[in-house]
This record gives sequence, structure tokens and C-alpha cells, in this order.
Amino acid sequence: MGMLLLYAVIMTSGSIALWTLVRRYFKKRPTSAGRVIWSVLVSGFALISIAAITTNFGTISTPGIDLPLGFAPGSGVPLTTTAIFKMVIVSLAQVLFVFILLSRIQELVLVKRTSSSQHNWYAMLFVFVAASLLSVFRAAGDPQNFVQDIAIVVSIVFMVLNAFRLSWIVSLSFKEKLATIGLCMVLIVLLIGGPGIGNSGSSFLIPDAYSYLEHYFMPLAAFVKQATIFGILYGTTSFLSLLFHLPTTGDFRQREGERATMHSLTHLIGQVFEAERLFESVAAAPVESGSADYAWLALPDLDTGFLQYKVFATSGIVPAKVNDLFDSTQLASDLSRDNLPLIIQKAQADHRLNLKTADGIGSLLAVPLIAREEVLGALFAAKKVSSGFEQDDIETISIFAAQAAVAIDNAHLFEQQVERERLEREMSIAREVQQKLLPQNVPEISGLSMAASSVSAQEVGGDYYDFVRLGEQELGVIIGDVSGKGTSAAFYMAEMQGIFHSVSRIAKSPATFLTHANTALAQTLDKNVFISAIYAILNLETERIVLTRAGHCPAAIVRLNGEARYIRTRGLGLGLDRGSLFQQSLTQESISLDPGDVLVFYTDGVVESRDAEGEEYGYDRLLSILKEYRHEDADGLHSAVLRDLRGFIGSAEYDDDMTLVVVKWHGVPIDTLLTSTQSVKEST
Amino acid sequence: MSNFSVGFRNSGTVQILDLKGELDAHTASELEAAIQKCQADNQVQIIINGANLLYISSAGLGVFMAYIEEVRECGGDIKIAALQPKVYNVFDLLGFPMLFDIVDLEEDAVGKFVVA
Repeated sequence: MGMLLLYAVIMTSGSIALWTLVRRYFKKRPTSAGRVIWSVLVSGFALISIAAITTNFGTISTPGIDLPLGFAPGSGVPLTTTAIFKMVIVSLAQVLFVFILLSRIQELVLVKRTSSSQHNWYAMLFVFVAASLLSVFRAAGDPQNFVQDIAIVVSIVFMVLNAFRLSWIVSLSFKEKLATIGLCMVLIVLLIGGPGIGNSGSSFLIPDAYSYLEHYFMPLAAFVKQATIFGILYGTTSFLSLLFHLPTTGDFRQREGERATMHSLTHLIGQVFEAERLFESVAAAPVESGSADYAWLALPDLDTGFLQYKVFATSGIVPAKVNDLFDSTQLASDLSRDNLPLIIQKAQADHRLNLKTADGIGSLLAVPLIAREEVLGALFAAKKVSSGFEQDDIETISIFAAQAAVAIDNAHLFEQQVERERLEREMSIAREVQQKLLPQNVPEISGLSMAASSVSAQEVGGDYYDFVRLGEQELGVIIGDVSGKGTSAAFYMAEMQGIFHSVSRIAKSPATFLTHANTALAQTLDKNVFISAIYAILNLETERIVLTRAGHCPAAIVRLNGEARYIRTRGLGLGLDRGSLFQQSLTQESISLDPGDVLVFYTDGVVESRDAEGEEYGYDRLLSILKEYRHEDADGLHSAVLRDLRGFIGSAEYDDDMTLVVVKWHGVPIDTLLTSTQSVKEST
Repeated sequence: MSNFSVGFRNSGTVQILDLKGELDAHTASELEAAIQKCQADNQVQIIINGANLLYISSAGLGVFMAYIEEVRECGGDIKIAALQPKVYNVFDLLGFPMLFDIVDLEEDAVGKFVVA
């Protein structure tokens, strides 16, 4: 009994060690289904061959002993060395085979594992071992007792549970499935013919395989039997499942393709820098996913008109052919109207298609690309067969189209953003340039104080003012306002500046200057553009100012005694008449100035500024504020008007270009006054 | 958004455009479209009724300048009537009365077409 126990312990430990070795050996082996079963078959075939050769090798011919296998009846002790040799080799070969079998099947059973599937697997192994150990004291040939029967039933329950873990099958290709079916059949044959399922005599490859095992170590025999049954069961469920899955393999592969394509498309959404690559990937998606034989992407052709679609990228078809397939304008408007996919199941019989070029196209699908409720283009997919598009194809391609629409829309937005930033830069440059066209400082002239400012509603504007010294005694002051606003006004303003600097020095009077300016501008001004202006020449010696108004807001004059009025002479705006009427319309007014008199020039932006209620600032308010602050010098008066204006409109936003020029005649040369004051200060 | 509109009316052979609201750089295109429509309909005797015109900017005035030549070449005219004082002032400052028939009453403008 003691010996028996020792033997059991040694055999059990040995088996555990062998299992551990097998597990370790296969741990890092590839786990693709075909390879797993293949490795089982190869090792199984080798081991069973060894066992089969061994059993047929030599005969038990010990004289005086006439036992079938050379074991003592009753005790089951091997009586000859040949019997021991055969027993060990045949048993170990079987044990190794089922260990490899189990450790490899484990990989398959645990594909897409859940905690319960993992639990079931290890529970089965545990039940195998437990049920086997129940046979530890059973002698070879003895029938199983009741407890052992129950253990086998439990073990079979777990076998069935694990035999339906077949997730690995769905991802196989058609060819792989076919090959695996063959492998399963061989595996079943190998298992039945090798270890067999007990002492039923099924082990035709290794005669008496089970008997040798029983004599070797009873629990091992039980374990091998259970493992073999499980192997056959698993092989059978795999075989059947593979067989049933064969016809749906194509569909499954298409789903896989769709998923992969969708994945790569999702990355494309961020791909805004290379529009062409984006288009190509979008066109390729239906073909790559297996939803169509041909596909192409059509977008509005901005060169020929907005509704004409132009093919931007294709997959599987010649571009020239596709462009002529449809009346693309008609198609584009159809798609824009319905915002739904257009499905043509019988392309050859459809009047919308150009039959000659429709060769090779059996059915066709056009899906509009819609982003932010706008149709950006269409994704076309075609199949060689008619009625080729099933509902799920249409859905898949619609999803591609939706993804593509977002990606293309992103790319557009990005382009617009870049363009906007470029324009902003250009405009800020234009603004700088225009600022340089205006005087940087007011000229310093004794007896005069002057202040001027100009703001534009947009980056650039059409207001202009300038000063020019005409000899020792004269100063020319101009203010102008180009009709309209923004860039076009800014260009004419620049032209006006050029004319002023070249013509003012040779024109003897304001009217002469304005007539020359009108002639010069007539050649370039658009019909609907005109410039209003006032030109004044101030003579310091005679203390007179002569001014001519060409359609401009009348200048204001405010006397020291409080008398204030607008100088409203007759005169057409520059560019309103390009013949002699302009010159005839002009009148000049000459005013004698007294010390303290102020002349104020401005553009309509000042008097037409509105408050929150839409009320205009107006001529009366301007005149009264000028009267109120008439004792200030030009700077003080200038800022008083701007302050009042800002207070009136209530916000810093100007609606129009706005220019204000203040010229105050002091009469006495104030610089000499200042100098004397300074010298007084210095001397103290 | 746009606070400007053009109404179309006929008085005999004369096309009357009733302007309403504010005519500025943004709304000028609407008046342009209206005058172009008159030209397309061969209606070149045009009266602009400004009774409800509250504001006009230089861009608005530019529309009249853009079409007057063509209309007159076709034997027609654009006459302006019933302007509010403030709006008339803008026309007047630029010297428009020297270029256009600007009258107080629409009937007078119609009468001038009939006499002509």
C-alpha cells in the first residue's frame, strides 16, 4: 500500500511537471487557429506513430507466461521488460499528446474571452484532474464505481460548455475555413484512432493503448480518456461550425473591410492640408471596403459654374469615361433637391445614364455629401452587376459619404480661415500705407494753430485731408470724401492725394485747382463714384481765406464774437459732371479773417453720426459746440468736438469714415510769443 | 435685416419707384436691381419717390449717377420727387439739382414727362 501511494505521488508530480513544460513550450507559439490545430496534428501524429510502432515492435515471448500484454492478472504488475518498455512509451506518448491538445485548444477556447469563459475552462481542467484522481486506487480492468461515474458526468458537462467556445471561427477567410475543416477531420480520426475513447477498442492505430495506460497509472488513463473525449467533441463542434459559417464568409469579410475603411476614413477628417489625398481616400473607400467595384468623387467645378460636377478622384475606373456618364448638372440639382442617395439598380436601362459610357456598369449609387445642410458634392459607387446594391451597401456608402462630407467641409473651413488671415494681413498693410498718405504732422506756421484727425470705419477709407505751403505767405488746405467706403474708396483717395500734390502748386485759385482735379479724375472714376471736396487757400499777409466747395459738407466759420455759420457756396462734386458744367457750377468765397476766427472742415461722417436712437449729430449741434469752445486753440477745439461726438454716439464704434480739421487764425505770430515766454522762463 | 425697400408703381407710361428706409452702401444694390429691371422692361421714364426715404449715403447717390446716362440715351429720364428736407439737403450739397430734375410733388414730375 505504501509503495502504491509513493508510486501515485511520483506519477502525479511527474504529470504536473510534464504539463507545466508543455504549457511553457507553447506559451509563445503563434495562436492563429490553423496553426494551433496544425501543431496539435503534427505532434499528435509523431507521438502516435511512435506509440504504434512500439506496440507492434517485438512480441511478448517470455516462456511460461501466456498473458496478452505481459501483465500479471489481478495485481496488473508488468512481468517482462518488454511490457514495461511498451507500457511507458505508449502511455507517455498518449499523455504528451493530450497535454499538447489541451494546451493548444485552450488558446482557441479563450479567443475573445470573458471572465466566465475563462472560469469554465479552468473549472473543466480541475474536474478532469479531480475525476482522474478518484481512480487512483482502481486497478486496471476494474469497472468504475458510482462516484467516478458522477465525476465523469460533471466532467462531460464542462466539456460541452467549453466545446461551444468557437469565436475564432468567424474571423477566418474562406480558404482558411476550408483548410481548418480538413484539419479538424484529421484531428478527430487521430484522437479516435490513437488514445481512443476508453476500452471500447476504438484505438485502431495503437492496439491496447488504453490497457497500457491503465497499467501505467490509472488516474492518467482517466485523464487521457476525458481529454480525448473533449478533443473529439471540440473537433466535431469546430468542424460543424466551420461548415455552417462557410457560406457567410464573404459577408463577414466585407464587414471587416468596411470597418477597416471606416477606421482609416476617420483619420482623414483631420487631413485638411492635402485636399487631393483626402479626395482620393474618399473615392477609394467604397472599393476598399468591398461595397462597390468602382467609385468616384464629384465636387462642384468652380471653374465652369457651381452646379456642374467634376470628378476629382476615382477608384477602379477611367476618369474620362465617368465625366460623360451623366448630365451632371441635372444630377447635381436632383441630389441637392432631395438630399437623398440616388439608386439606379438597372444602369443599362436607365435614361439618365449615357448608355455608351455606361458599359461595364450594372448598378449605380450616388450619395450627396452634406455638411451643415449644404450639398458639397457626391460620392458615386458602381457595381458590374445590376441590382447590385443591397440596403446595407447603401447604408455603408452613405456613412462614408457623411464622413467625407465632414472632412471636406473641414478642409474648406481651413482654406477659408487661411484666406481670411491673408486678407486681414493685406488690409492691415493697406491701412498702414493709407495712413502715410495723410499728413503725419500739421505744419507749424506762426499766427496759425491747426489740428486734424481722420478715422476709417473699415481698415481703409475714402476720407482725405492735406496741407500744402504755397510760397511764403500762402497755405492750401484740402478736405475730400470719396463716395462709398472701403477698398475702392481708398484707391480713389490715393489718386486724389497724388493730384493734390502735383496740381495744387500750379493752380492759382481753389476753383482752378478743382477744375484740373475734376478733369484728371474724370478719366479714372467709375460712373457711380464721385468725390466731394473743399479747397481753401489762406493768405497770411492779407489775412484772407479763399475757398471753393465741390459738393462737400460746408466748412464752418466761427468768429471770436460768437458769430458762426456754414460757408455754403454752390459747386458740384468732383466726377459728377465731366464737361464744362462742373467748372460753371463752382463759386469762390473770400473771407477776411480776424484774430480768433476758426475754420472747421469735416466729412459727413461727423454730422451723420448717430446715437443709439438713430438720431443724427447734425449741423446745428456741431455749430453750437464750436461756438461754445471757440476760445480754445485748434487742439482744444478739435478734441472738444470729438469728445462731444463720442459722448453723443455713446460707443467708440464709428459707422463711417470721419475727418475733422480745425484751423484757427491767431493773427499775432504766436511762435514769437511762445519763444518770449520760454526765454522768460529760462531767465528766471 | 435690410431696412430698405423699393416699391413699383405706374402712372401712365411713367414708372414710379417708391423708396423706403435707408439707402446706403449695403442697400444700394437693391435700387440698382430695381432700375435695371425698369431698363429690361423698356421703362425709361422713371420717377424716384423719396417720401419715405429716411437717409441716403454717397454710395446711394452713386446709383443715380451710374444709370442716368444710359436712361437719357434711351430717351428717358430719372426724376426725383417728394424728398424729405434732410435727404434733399444731401442731394443739394453735392449739386444734384444741377444734374437731375428734383421736384416737390410726384405729380409735377409726371407732368414733366407728359409735356416732354
